[in-house]
Amino acid sequence: RMEASCLELALEGERLCKAGDCRAGVSFFEAAVQVGTEDLKTLSAIYSQLGNAYFYLHEYAKALEYHHHDLTLARTIGDLLGEAKASGNLGNTLKVLGNFEEAIVCCQRHLDISRELNDKVGEARALYNLGNVYHSKGKNVACAGTHDPGELPDDVKNALEKAANYYEENLTIVTELGDRAAQGRAFGNLGNTHYLLGNFRSAVIAHEQRLLIAKEFGDTSAERRAYSNLGNAYIFLGEFETASEYYKRTLQLARQLKDRAVEAQACYSLGNTYTLLQDYEKAIDYHLKHLVIAQELNDKIGEGRACWSLGNAYTALGNHEQAIHFAERHLEISREVGDRSGELTARLNLSDLQMVLGLSYSTNNSMMSENHVADNSLNGTRPRVGRRHSMENMELMKLTPEKVQNWN
Amino acid sequence: QPLASRQAAELQSKVVPSKQILHSDNMEMEPETMETKSVTDYFSKMHMGSLVYSCTSKRKNK
Repeated sequence: RMEASCLELALEGERLCKAGDCRAGVSFFEAAVQVGTEDLKTLSAIYSQLGNAYFYLHEYAKALEYHHHDLTLARTIGDLLGEAKASGNLGNTLKVLGNFEEAIVCCQRHLDISRELNDKVGEARALYNLGNVYHSKGKNVACAGTHDPGELPDDVKNALEKAANYYEENLTIVTELGDRAAQGRAFGNLGNTHYLLGNFRSAVIAHEQRLLIAKEFGDTSAERRAYSNLGNAYIFLGEFETASEYYKRTLQLARQLKDRAVEAQACYSLGNTYTLLQDYEKAIDYHLKHLVIAQELNDKIGEGRACWSLGNAYTALGNHEQAIHFAERHLEISREVGDRSGELTARLNLSDLQMVLGLSYSTNNSMMSENHVADNSLNGTRPRVGRRHSMENMELMKLTPEKVQNWN
Repeated sequence: QPLASRQAAELQSKVVPSKQILHSDNMEMEPETMETKSVTDYFSKMHMGSLVYSCTSKRKNK
């Protein structure tokens, strides 16, 4: 039997990737590279597709490698459009890897070449990518910093404002081109950028546009995203009733899409919203729903959050036994996942509850008797899975709705 | 138990102020757009004719 040629293997890889099977596509492309070809333009296309396949498979180091090969090759053969595309893909990959400065250089190159070639579509896409890089950069610095709530450090604010400008520039072009799908994407991310900047009214306006376009396309996932983002923005506008309506739509669509993780998130958001509305029974109802799914998905961080929230809600209702039960569970999970601040909060909650219950509460069966252990492990240095994730949420905790008035 | 009830009231009043709500960072971003290159496009542009024919007929025979 004759060996398959590089081209045949590549065509099969391409077909598989188009059909959504990136994993199988990758093996065909890699086989094609093994066989090799002297046609550098074909090789460039193979590298590019390998890079994208690895990107979609979340194997970013590999994606970086292949997009880099593609860029080198495109430059070697003097393929300017090919160079622009490779630069854009490399930029997107570098962004995901957190290398924002290099990502900006690459995306800027994509933009410059597109303008040089008078390629409006390429220009718009480069602008969207640049917006995404600056958005990620801003978000990244915001999460790492220890700034006061509601006051973004200058570098975060600058990056987010740049992101907003690039999205606006993109919108101008894609509107001219009549590309509704691209408009939808730009509105969504522009809305999220305004949200981070604390411009919640502008965020709502952008997400409403996103919602409209999602409906036009019958794109249920995008519609769900828009509802969720609208809910978030209305929380910070202090309009909790409206937020709850959007979260309910999110929940409906999450169930329709059979996405349990998203369903859990929607329940959690609804639990929090009803807590803000001081309807603790409903809050408990949604937090319990969230808890069940978190356990089902073995999401320890989510489970810990659910227990913390349930502890608070039961305390608010004066149901101290349930409150203690969930506070103890929260403490247990915080230790398990190495969430130090969660651990501290849980212990404070437990000691408060213990005080209230006084003598009626026995410490024998309780986590409280292990306090000295917690004190020791608090200074421990063993790696703690999930800590960073929890800390991000702690950062967001500081963004309180009371602060909102000062922001707008 | 006046002390316990007072503490209960205090606990109730200080519980779940909105700033204690754990908002998860659940901002939903739009997908990235990657630039695409295609062997097929290049292939059909550059090698129209017999090669295309042999390739497609081979596939049909599978």
